[in-house]
Amino acid sequence: MKKGLSDRQKQTRSGYLFLIFPIIIFGIFTIFPMFFALFISFYDWNLLIPDKPFVGLANYIELFQDEVFLIATKNTIIYALGVVPVQTILSLFLAFLMNQKLPGRGFFRLAFYLPAVTASVVTSTIFIWIYSKPGLLNYLLSLAGINGTDWLTNPNTALLSIMALNVWSTSGYFMITFLAGLQNIPASVYEAAKIDGASAWTQFWKITFPLVRPVTYFVVVLSLIGCFQVFDQVFIMSQGGPVNSTTTMSFFVYINSFKYFRLGYGAASAIILAMIIYFVTVVQKRYFPPEPY
Amino acid sequence: MKHLIICIPLIIVLALSSCMQGEKPMRISSWVSSPAETKMFRNTLDSFTIAHPEIVFDFEPIPGNYSEKLQLMLGTNTGPDLFFLKGYLAPSYISFDILEPINYYIEADSSINLDDFFPPLLDAFNKDGIQYGLPKDFAPYVLFYNKAMFKEAQLDSMPKNWEELEYFAQQLTKDKDNDGKTDQFGLVIEPSTEMLMPFVYQNEGSFQSADGKLGITDPSFIEALEFYYGLYQKGLATIPTDVGQGWNGDTFGREQAAMCFSGGWLIPFLKLSYPDVDWGVAPLPMGKTKATVAFTTAFAMPKSSKFKNDAWQMMNYLTGPKGMKIWTQQGLALPSRKSVAEKNGFYDDPVYSVFMESAEYASTLQVEISERGFEEISVALQAIFFTGKKPLEAMENIKPRIEKYSLR
Repeated sequence: MKKGLSDRQKQTRSGYLFLIFPIIIFGIFTIFPMFFALFISFYDWNLLIPDKPFVGLANYIELFQDEVFLIATKNTIIYALGVVPVQTILSLFLAFLMNQKLPGRGFFRLAFYLPAVTASVVTSTIFIWIYSKPGLLNYLLSLAGINGTDWLTNPNTALLSIMALNVWSTSGYFMITFLAGLQNIPASVYEAAKIDGASAWTQFWKITFPLVRPVTYFVVVLSLIGCFQVFDQVFIMSQGGPVNSTTTMSFFVYINSFKYFRLGYGAASAIILAMIIYFVTVVQKRYFPPEPY
Repeated sequence: MKHLIICIPLIIVLALSSCMQGEKPMRISSWVSSPAETKMFRNTLDSFTIAHPEIVFDFEPIPGNYSEKLQLMLGTNTGPDLFFLKGYLAPSYISFDILEPINYYIEADSSINLDDFFPPLLDAFNKDGIQYGLPKDFAPYVLFYNKAMFKEAQLDSMPKNWEELEYFAQQLTKDKDNDGKTDQFGLVIEPSTEMLMPFVYQNEGSFQSADGKLGITDPSFIEALEFYYGLYQKGLATIPTDVGQGWNGDTFGREQAAMCFSGGWLIPFLKLSYPDVDWGVAPLPMGKTKATVAFTTAFAMPKSSKFKNDAWQMMNYLTGPKGMKIWTQQGLALPSRKSVAEKNGFYDDPVYSVFMESAEYASTLQVEISERGFEEISVALQAIFFTGKKPLEAMENIKPRIEKYSLR
């Protein structure tokens, strides 16, 4: 085309040409809204009222005095602290099992992965029934002579119930991730360990666990972010109730922004949520890096 | 190559803007609660087209999350020119200053006859003498009862007051298979503000008095709440989630409870889902005074509309004697005009006459508190029903949280 351009420059240019469409989309629907949210979090922004006064940090100050927001923050942290370890360990364990030569392995892999590809609306609706007072869970408990509660209207069990649902529905997805990691570990390492007389348990802790560490890092980061953003299950199963016991931060963001229509206030709470997620991820990267030793 | 790079975004911009062009007619939006209702509404709109063929419009029903979607549309100036507005949201919308006052149109048209409307329904959309919408229909809470269960319990009258309600509920609460668990409750209630309020009004209490003070810790409010919750606490009433149902209509339809409080929306639901249940309706029992809660919906138009005259013509037709008659004749909703109720024969009908009678003493649940504040009280009700918190304590705890959101 033109003489002055080196091959590399041409390549770069073609590269950007291919990327231009996704970059535009990404810019319009992700980058711009992110900064716009930060912008409106300093305003008393109600779309219905033309007057949108600048209020500085007033939204943030109000948030920290808002009992419901503090409860939502607490619930979200409990949720993440409960779900992430259980989910990670469970999915690693499942992946370990599915990596063995077991009969019916294909079936189990499919069965464990199925919840991950089922819409959360569907699983939540099914679990509403399972958790209801005359539901499946209480029936099973009654067989063991235990008198169950109404899991979703009891403030002590509602959040726990939704956590359990999340563990169930996402473990399969992370199992596949772990499985890919496990299959990347060369068989020769295990053979060498066997020759040295390592038991299956030692092999797991000394070989599998360290070598799968980059995957573990990936899984923990993703599930932490997923947990901090939990919304669909809460929206469908409990609407934040009873007594705010399942109000999570993203549910709080949603109702304040789109139901009560205080977009500035909702954006401010979303910014805080983003900051928490950022902080947790940084801490994790700093203290639990992905590289195996 | 360079031209191409510039061209691609241009094409996108052009493609997007061409979608937005074109002269659009007036738009009217409703929510979608049942296919029957939407069909009825389309019929009513068809009759409007026959009466006013010169007005062209698009009907754009909003299938879900109506309030959220509508607010977003209004906020981005893409709102419909005429829409359904729930009575309890009117104070918020009025405070946002987005509704077009219609006094001017009303005064210009001598044939409207506002006296024909039930006054509380008009008042729901009125602030300081300015009218922001005309009610298209309403639905008061009445008592639905299961005729077979009443017969079985040898009850041949209706509960007239609170004591009788409790006594009836006792008679109707049964453990049929003697396993120590109640299979049939006297009553199904919901831990919701709407269903509690008739009792508060009957006890001469209020959510918010005329001067804006919250009444939720007054003795009259607490007494009513204690009676209401007491029915549940004593095991005479159940709540839908306790028996695995989503709302009281299903609990009543499945014959898990003999009585329930509901508006007219339960009638088509029972006919469709539980045709075998033989039910009847009666006015709510009275406390110190007769009272019930009525829900009303109006047509309103936004200030930003470009078709205000057409929108007014339509609102006036749909809330006028002709349009309202077509809209309400099947009883899906009750007419907010007395004359239409008479023409439909609702005062002579054994079922609808109960609703029309209740309209005389019904209050619309109108508070000048933003939606968030109003919903906080359901948190207190949940605390009472699900954690056994004392009513007075729960209301005292929640009061400051609600006061923060007063619109005054």
